[in-house]
Amino acid sequence: MSAKVEDVADAMFEMVKEYHGKKNLKALDLTKAMIKKFGDDECDKKLCKAAIRSLMDTGRTTYSYVGGSYIVLPPDK
Amino acid sequence: MSVDMSKRKTDIGPPHHEQFLPPVIKANYGKWKYHENPKPGVLVHVGETGDKLYSVRAATPRLVSIETLRLYADLADEFCDGYMRWTSRNNVEFLLTEEKNIEPLIGKLKAAGYPVGGTGASITNIVHTQGWVHCHSSASDASGVVKAVMDELFPRFENMDLPAKLRIAFACCLNMCGAVHCSDIAILAVHRHAPVVDHANLNSQCEIPNVVASCPTGAIRPATVDGNQSVEVIDDQCMYCANCFSVCPAMTLNDPDTDGISIWVGGKLSQARHVPMFSKLAIPYVPNNPPRWPEVVDAVKNLVEVYAKNARKFERMGEWIERIGWPKFFDLTGIEFTKYHLDDFTHAGESYNRSLHVRQR
Amino acid sequence: MTEKKRETPLLDELEKGPWPSFVTEIKKSADKGNASSEDLLGVLERSYREKIGHWKHGGIVGVMGYGGGVIGRYNDLPDDFPGVAHFHTIRVNQPPGWFYTSDAIRKVCDIWEKYGSGLTNFHGSTGDLVLLGCRTEVLEDVFKELTDIGFDLGGSGSDVRTPSCCCGKARCEWACYDSMQVCYDVTMNFQDELHRPAFPYKWKFKFAGCPNDCVASIARSDMAVIGTWRDDIQVDQAAVADYAGSLDIAKDVTRRCPTRCMGWDGSTLSIDNENCVKCMHCINAMPKALSPGKDRGAAILVGGKAPIIGGALLSALFVPFINIDEDVEDLYELCEEMWDIWGEHGKNRERIGEFIQRVGLGNFLEQIGLDPIPEMVIHPRTNPYIFFELDEEEDE
Repeated sequence: MSAKVEDVADAMFEMVKEYHGKKNLKALDLTKAMIKKFGDDECDKKLCKAAIRSLMDTGRTTYSYVGGSYIVLPPDK
Repeated sequence: MSVDMSKRKTDIGPPHHEQFLPPVIKANYGKWKYHENPKPGVLVHVGETGDKLYSVRAATPRLVSIETLRLYADLADEFCDGYMRWTSRNNVEFLLTEEKNIEPLIGKLKAAGYPVGGTGASITNIVHTQGWVHCHSSASDASGVVKAVMDELFPRFENMDLPAKLRIAFACCLNMCGAVHCSDIAILAVHRHAPVVDHANLNSQCEIPNVVASCPTGAIRPATVDGNQSVEVIDDQCMYCANCFSVCPAMTLNDPDTDGISIWVGGKLSQARHVPMFSKLAIPYVPNNPPRWPEVVDAVKNLVEVYAKNARKFERMGEWIERIGWPKFFDLTGIEFTKYHLDDFTHAGESYNRSLHVRQR
Repeated sequence: MTEKKRETPLLDELEKGPWPSFVTEIKKSADKGNASSEDLLGVLERSYREKIGHWKHGGIVGVMGYGGGVIGRYNDLPDDFPGVAHFHTIRVNQPPGWFYTSDAIRKVCDIWEKYGSGLTNFHGSTGDLVLLGCRTEVLEDVFKELTDIGFDLGGSGSDVRTPSCCCGKARCEWACYDSMQVCYDVTMNFQDELHRPAFPYKWKFKFAGCPNDCVASIARSDMAVIGTWRDDIQVDQAAVADYAGSLDIAKDVTRRCPTRCMGWDGSTLSIDNENCVKCMHCINAMPKALSPGKDRGAAILVGGKAPIIGGALLSALFVPFINIDEDVEDLYELCEEMWDIWGEHGKNRERIGEFIQRVGLGNFLEQIGLDPIPEMVIHPRTNPYIFFELDEEEDE
């Protein structure tokens, strides 16, 4: 495993920004996309979990709930 | 909002139960020998060493103020060193070691408006949902119906004179946060027409593909209405499940004129005697009639009384109906059997009688 | 604060009668000067008059870093009832078995007096201690003070919902495993899954100590762990004889046995234990005389849920017996396997029970590495449309 948590988190954040207002993404959408982007020898579910946690703990993204839990930009951004 | 993450504690989980257990439980953990139910609302558990634990069970309205919680705390301090628990059906239980404290505690609970009962072959508290107190999709209030029904059934809470225990549950829409689907009597509020679509706001509030995908019967499709990108609903295909409303606030089902209440019977979930069973439809609709829902109260009371009169010892509602047959159930209760009682969803065919096993009437 | 005249003629009707009244509870809080409770009475009276609720969808409300535990709720009449303009619910993970001390209860009350409506649910449908109604800006403070007294938030959304359990070995002679400890261990093991939603939809765990299932696990959880045993029912014949005075043992006990594996000749109870299906009826009827065997453990069932979306399901038997007190790690592994496949292929808002029916139990078991056994079905299939896998058969 050689991808860094910060790099995966940054890539996830870009993806959330890109889809903002178009489609709400779930944790799994981001995870699948990251494993595809970085390759499964560089990135796995555990790493993605850590990346999502860092996005949440730094407030770059937040969770929303509309009939399901999504990862979105905070309302003030 | 700025939050200093370094000072926060997260993922600590629930408090471990051990700190809340009275010494008699710690000493007898996993070593209880048997229990008895000496009177309604009182259980005595006896340990291998002869230790005794008395539980006194009182009804609560589930929605309780901190004033009442403090009252319970005071009573627990006075009679049982501060130890208490709650049951899965919203009753509070005081955990006593002194037998002489039972009656004084019961007296104070009753005086404060929290009656003691709900053990054995009785009707205990109704598990229920939030209703108009807190829910966005409720087709009725919850607490009010429960209060009205339990006022009427109250003697069945304070006595243990039914053939078996009888479990009632209430849910304010068919999302069933109260998971009423395996109850002896289930009271279920229902919507009865297709969602009203807020075309002007739907596209900004919701993702159209999600809304379309949310419908289990395929009744929703994308449409442009008055220049707005939106959806349309094929009314005939809608079964009012409100799954679309869960994913999209612009699909409203709440309606004061048509919302109402359905009543279901014969579910159980213990393994005793008969395997678990779903509740089945008894009454498709009675009107929403606050503040005391007299039609619901009468219907439930009738079901309880017919069951109490006809079932045998240990027979739950569903076991009794299975023994006598559904035609007899409708005869005895005087409930009309209608087209609505015939299932037309996924597993409908499983409920058709594909035999000649009927009692001729 | 301006003094409002409280007029609740419809709600007042619900203070009559012997059953404890929720209206009285709300008034108790309002009478202490809580503006939220006061306005809750107002808006509820209006709902009773209009026969419709006045609450809106939640949106983005929570504490930093968590995706669950707070249910956002706004009123659609904020100008008339500002005290409930925000009325968010906080789900607090209850202690296993719902045991408390008066001290712990008072600490929770003090927090809720300071920040919230003063109203609670003891407890919510899933089992949480529910703090009912507060504003967005107090959420972090409530969370901090709750964690300071040892409480954490529960689940909501597409995550592991707050697990719950019966009182088990703490107060029941029938507990076949330590349901409270296993519930606690599972809750701690899956803290991340509980607080950070990453599933297609919710996942509920419930732990019942015996087949009486006092927490309704088979109907209300995606994974139900229900206590059972493998050896003979323990019988105290003298105590059985004592019951003969108050109970018609032949009629009400042995003839009610679902497999008729019992006999009563007027002095001795006989049990053909090989044919006992552990239903608990005889034990329930004569608790002083009978008890579950000594080789105790649990069964694991999967896929129970309420109707939304594809109809209600009861959980289905996956593991007929596991020594769960010792082997809880096996449960963790089973969950991880299931979540992997459900996470990968499950649709939004599709519970695992629905997912299993969609992909087929056979395929699902293969994916999670569990062998099919006849205990999993009531009977084998009756239709001949078998998807034969010739290539794989040749490989074997």
